[in-house]
This record gives sequence, structure tokens and C-alpha cells, in this order.
Amino acid sequence: MKKVGEGAEAKIYEIEIFGNKAILKRREEKKYRAKELDRKLRKERTKAEARTMARLSSSLKVPKIIAAGQYSIIMERLEGRLLKDADITSAQIAEAGKMLGKMHEMNIAHGDFTPANLMSCKNGLYVIDFGLSEMTNSFEERALDILLMKRSIPAALYPSFEKSYSESFNGHLTVLGRLKEIEKRGRYQIRTLG
Amino acid sequence: MLVIGLESSAHTFGVGIVDGGKVIANEKEMYKIGKTGMIPAKVAEFHSENAAHVIKRAMQKAGVEPSEIEGIGYTMGPGLGPCLQVAQLSAKMLAKKLNVKIAPVNHCVAHAEITRHYGKLKDPIMLYVSGGNSQVLAIESKPFHHYSVIGETFDIGVGNMLDSFARNLELEPAWGSSIEKNAKGGRYIPLPYTVKGMDFSFTGLLTRSTELIGKERTADLCFSIQETAFAALCEATERALLLRNKEEIGVCGGVAQNESLRNMLQAIAKEHGYRFGFAPNEFNADNGGMIAYVAEKMLLGGMGRPVSECEIRQRYRTDGARLAIR
Repeated sequence: MKKVGEGAEAKIYEIEIFGNKAILKRREEKKYRAKELDRKLRKERTKAEARTMARLSSSLKVPKIIAAGQYSIIMERLEGRLLKDADITSAQIAEAGKMLGKMHEMNIAHGDFTPANLMSCKNGLYVIDFGLSEMTNSFEERALDILLMKRSIPAALYPSFEKSYSESFNGHLTVLGRLKEIEKRGRYQIRTLG
Repeated sequence: MLVIGLESSAHTFGVGIVDGGKVIANEKEMYKIGKTGMIPAKVAEFHSENAAHVIKRAMQKAGVEPSEIEGIGYTMGPGLGPCLQVAQLSAKMLAKKLNVKIAPVNHCVAHAEITRHYGKLKDPIMLYVSGGNSQVLAIESKPFHHYSVIGETFDIGVGNMLDSFARNLELEPAWGSSIEKNAKGGRYIPLPYTVKGMDFSFTGLLTRSTELIGKERTADLCFSIQETAFAALCEATERALLLRNKEEIGVCGGVAQNESLRNMLQAIAKEHGYRFGFAPNEFNADNGGMIAYVAEKMLLGGMGRPVSECEIRQRYRTDGARLAIR
């Protein structure tokens, strides 16, 4: 079992199942936090992730689940490159907007929708890492998904993200309105440079 | 270069003196926060009354004559307008009298920079936690040399949240380390935990904890609110470390004085084999030493300004301040 990646809440291993390569994502104990909180977060997130991936599997490009346990998920191994490690094209960012719109249409908020959680593969763009996702119809949660992406990409790319998002989600006006509201909250006022 | 730094962004009037990167005096007077919190005009009045003698005391401590001072720094922001004005005016007056240049300093950057200095950190992920702010910072060189904010609170600062809860519990005193002291021996109760990538929020946690006052033991509540808030900060910090491939962690600002938080960050550092550093507590509380420290770098880097160009900016963001490269 080879460790191929590590995030703030899980370790990613490459394993072999019936001769095929697969990914094991395991949420390991974090010693810095209280045991009860640690267990609760790891369980809830594993559950949320498995549930969201299953719900999205027929409508969006997400890794297929092979098996899920209390703290770990075994899933299909993708061949590709994270968007954060590549020069993002406007076609890719438009695709990302469309995917987020679809998710929001299905009442799912991703919780960490950034180029670090989008993978460019041969057959297109995949969304990964649903550990912070939740089933919700909250416009605040949806707006935060957009805000996170807006902050992680060059400003020039954002308009095509917003455009394709709006085209794929009927509630986009309410979400974008809420986004404006969040950005007005004191500390998010336009970041004036030096 | 002998530089004096003035700080008055919130409840503390601080004066620091630096010589060649070394803080040789760091004096302060702090406004006592009662049940009403901070009323800006009243705090400003307190600062005006204390400015002259704290400046004098710092010079005596450092064994420095006014005529020897070669530059002045003051906190330009962020902070409360009436409070900021006191250090700004004092700096202007001194600069005119001594005929030296002024460096307007960003308060948050000063906390981060003094921590980088004392914590012996080169290129860390810096967790800046105070009453008004909670940010995850990293140094970036584009489009100019600055601390970029890669994560921050969506609503209130973690220190403000803890102090508000202390006031709701009617603790005395209701600020600073009062929650930490009352958390001893507490058990964990589940409370709302909000992390979005590298951002976090605290109002939900405050509301729920306040609802539970009287229904749960005070020690349990204090322990759990702290544990939950700090775990969120730690998760965001760890995510930032891994995403940015950094190998050093720093913590600064008022809440950096909290030992539980430091222990948690230390545990993350240990797990990954990273370096963890922080400054002595006198620099985590508001102080003039850090302002003088950054002002000296700025003045040496040609970032000094004439008296006429020294403004204040109440919402001066961390990522809006250019860093002196030294």
C-alpha cells in the first residue's frame, strides 16, 4: 500500500483490488483534537463523502465508489492532473462552473470547491473530495462554494465560471445575490492592493 | 537604525524602540475593558492621556535621547479610527520635531513579522488569531511582496468570539485568558464546527454555546468552545500547509498566547516533522515593539514617507500591505 497523497483530513493510498488499481482514502486520527470531536468529524465526513459521491455518480464525473467503511472509502483511481497544478483554461473553468451548478441544482454544496479538488482527466474534468460536502438548500452554503473558487482562480477566469454556473442552475440569481452580500461583510471588502 | 514604533489600534497604547532588528524597549499601557467592551472615543481619550509618558518611559528604558532617533513607525491600521489617530498624530508630531521619516505599518503584518523573527521562521504558514482577526497567511512575491490571506473567518475573530462568550457567562474578567482558565477539567460536548476549505466561521459556535449556558457545566462549555474553535483553526492551517507545501508553522496575535492552541499546532508540526515557532507573549499582545521592528525594515527598504502622507486606514487589510524585503 503506497501513500500517494495527504490532505488535512485524510491520507490517500494506492491499492490493488482484483488486479485493478484503486484509491483508498482513509481519515486517520488527528491527535491535536479531542477524541470525541475527532471521531465525530471523521465519521460524518466519510459518510457525507460516500453519500454525495453515490448521489452524483449518475449525473456528474466523480470517482466511482468501490466500498465504504466507517473511516475509509475505496474508490476508482483516476489518471489525471489536479487543476491547481496546471494552467487552467477558460474551457475548464467553464466546465467547473457547469458542474457546480448541477450540484447546487441537486441541493448539494461541495464545501471546498477549488482547483485543488478538480482533476483534469483524458475524458474530461472530475470533481473530487466530498468530505466537506452537505445536502442543503441553503443559499449561503452555495454562495460560499462560489466564493472559494472565485478567490482561488485568476480574476480573468471568473466571469466564464459564473456564466456557465448560472446557465446550469435555476437559483443562480439568489446565490449570486448572497455572494455579493457576503463580500460586503466588512472583512471581505474589495482587497485593495498596496 | 534607531527607530521608535507607536501602536494604538485597539485597547493598548504601546511604544517600542528597535535598533538593528533588536527590540530594546517595549512599553505599554492598556485600557481596562469593562462590561461595555470598548467604546472607541473613551479608549482614544485614554491613549491621549498616556501617549506622552509611555513614549518617555520607553526612551528611558532604552537609554535613548530623542535626538538619537532616526525614524518613526506607527500603526496605520486596521483598528478603531479614534484610537488609531492617537499614534498617528503622535508619530507626526515626533517626526516634525526630529525631522525624520515615518513608516506607516500594518498591524497584522507586524504581528506576523515579529513572530517570524522570534520564531526563527523563513517561509511559514502563519496563523494570525486575535480579537478582531483570524487569518491563515503565507508570504507571496506576486504581484508584490506581501502576506496573502489564504483562509480567514467568515464572520468574527476567534478572540472576539471567546470574549463574547466569557461576557455571556458573566465571567470576571471577561476577556483574554478567562475561557482558557475556566476550561480546566472540562469534558467535550458536541458543538457546531464550521470549516470551508481554509476558511472558518465562529458565530454558530457562539450562539449554540450561549444557548447551553445553565444547562451544561461551565468548565465543559469553556473546554468545548475552545476545543471546537481551535480544531477548526488547526484544520485550516494544516490544509494550507499541505496545499502550499510549506514546512513551518507560526502563530501570532492575542490568542496565540493560549497554550492549548499552541499545543495543538505543535502536534501538527510534530506529526509532519515541521518547525513550529511563536514570539514571546509581550509581542502577541498588542505592542509598539513589533511596529518599530517592521518600521525599521520599511525605512531601510526606502518605504519611508513624509509627514504629509501619513494616513490611517481602519480596514487596512493584511494582503494590502507591501512587505519590505530584508
